[in-house]
Amino acid sequence: MVAAIAVLGLGSPLMTDEGIGIRILEALERRADLPEDVELVDLGTGGLRIVHEAAGRRKLVVVDCARMGEPPGTIRRFTPEEVRSRKVTLRWSLHEGDVLANLELARRLGTCPEEVVLLGIQPERVAPGLELTATLAARLEEYVGWVLAELRPAEKAGPERA
Amino acid sequence: MSRTVEFDVHHVTRVEGHGNIKVRVKNGTVDEVRWLVPEAPRFFEAMVRGRSWEDIQTVVSRICGICSVTHSLASIKAVEAALGVEISRQTDRLRILAHYGEQVESHVLHVGYLVAPDLLGQKSVVPLVTSHPEVVQTVIALHKLGNHMMEVLAGRKTHPIRLKPGGFAKLPTEAELRDLKARLQAAVPQLEALAEVILSLAGELPDFRRETEYIALVNPPHYPFYHGQIGSTDTDERVPVAEFERVVNEYVSPQSTAKWTRWHRDAYGVGALARFNLNAEHLAPLATKVAASFGLEKGCTNPYLNNVAQLVEVVHVVERSMGIVDELLEAGIRPEKPHVEPRAGVGVGCVEAPRGILFHKYEFDERGRCLAANICIPTNQNHANIQKDFEALLPEILDEEEDAIRLKMEMLVRAYDPCISCSTHYLDVEFV
Repeated sequence: MVAAIAVLGLGSPLMTDEGIGIRILEALERRADLPEDVELVDLGTGGLRIVHEAAGRRKLVVVDCARMGEPPGTIRRFTPEEVRSRKVTLRWSLHEGDVLANLELARRLGTCPEEVVLLGIQPERVAPGLELTATLAARLEEYVGWVLAELRPAEKAGPERA
Repeated sequence: MSRTVEFDVHHVTRVEGHGNIKVRVKNGTVDEVRWLVPEAPRFFEAMVRGRSWEDIQTVVSRICGICSVTHSLASIKAVEAALGVEISRQTDRLRILAHYGEQVESHVLHVGYLVAPDLLGQKSVVPLVTSHPEVVQTVIALHKLGNHMMEVLAGRKTHPIRLKPGGFAKLPTEAELRDLKARLQAAVPQLEALAEVILSLAGELPDFRRETEYIALVNPPHYPFYHGQIGSTDTDERVPVAEFERVVNEYVSPQSTAKWTRWHRDAYGVGALARFNLNAEHLAPLATKVAASFGLEKGCTNPYLNNVAQLVEVVHVVERSMGIVDELLEAGIRPEKPHVEPRAGVGVGCVEAPRGILFHKYEFDERGRCLAANICIPTNQNHANIQKDFEALLPEILDEEEDAIRLKMEMLVRAYDPCISCSTHYLDVEFV
């Protein structure tokens, strides 16, 4: 049986802030207080695997770098219904990824749970580099708190320290 | 003919790493047809410089979201060649199994999610869920098999954590291998079903041929993805992988910031069709039967049939995987730990990525620190070939509607499944 909740981290840690989803996942892996029945899944940039990772879950928490027109470092919580993708993909290659389109595919296949939460972090810099920018690195624990809040059944969204 | 056709197909994007098609036809004459590709991610070479031999795999496994096992294995083979590391037959077999898992996943996704919609007249796989549910379910089941193979063998599915120079950080159990065998057996009828569907649609693949040079690993009597020497359809010479630089002959094309390659001609092709053209007689029995059902034969020069060759390869690797699992179970999984002593040296690692032959080369100092790196990816090796295909294809289809021309050119790019936009993927959203 799969865990009821999956935290899906996306991104490339070789592209500075583009890797924030993976960096958050790594920080969560180091926590001893993760609730049971939660699985951390590193999707990298291979987004179609979401179709399988979504199956059998009660809830998905997707953590990803997101261009949202916000100041760098801003984190926002939203559902797939609350946003429209501005990405243009030509379907030339498997290497194009649009997590919203892949979630839609999972939904049509009947493998996607009702409850899908996206936590988007506005990047400061997306360019070759193994480290996050200082702006995002300084807020890493805060982002982890937002994910943990999604994993607690009794509480609604919001950062752990709020 | 007085046709005038002009179009550009390109991404609206703020990030480099995407390809464009540019077509200018005036009064029935082709003025310009170009495959424009910006830099594929060479900066990874700079990222590994100064790092320890132990860290290289972790970095390069992130180069590509689809081919992380492949990049891991190429880098590990290069490190082992440089540091003089011997590995056990068990490690060798387990690596090949993990690598087969990646071929299954990548080819199934490509044929099922990208090519099938073209053949069924749809814009994407999403409408197929309603119109052709059985096709989509078969693709999903086979995709899952590929994922599972990588999870059992390589650890974390997209970014392998168990593959290490010298061996495995964690070995699969015999129970896991027995379960894998059952899954592989169950996949055979699914593969036959998928082959039947694609065969019924194969008439939709354009009938276009252009002779070119094909390059792939060769290692008779095997159909190799992991061992062998570099072979070409233009020569009987077989080149040791350590000498790959005299095969790829990288050069800078004025129409691209990516490095292009050539050997005996002005372009060559790599990938499933290249492997098939060099090694078809070594395919497993069912794969041979599937190839015959499509009329696919050695010497094929239709690049669109790369997709059929991919399907044939999926069947082949599933068949061969069952044999490898049997061999491993018969011998029993022996506990072993990787052991590597750093030393100065240079090494090349070569494997067949799903998209074609891939080379990694590293130089280390006596402490095992990386001094230099060269990574030559299959997509860059195909760019010049795509350009030459365009130049030959466009005059042949000029009397067709602009939409049909555009579709055939896009399908041609898709046939190669280029890795051109993989290093970033982030969400780009507006709130509604």
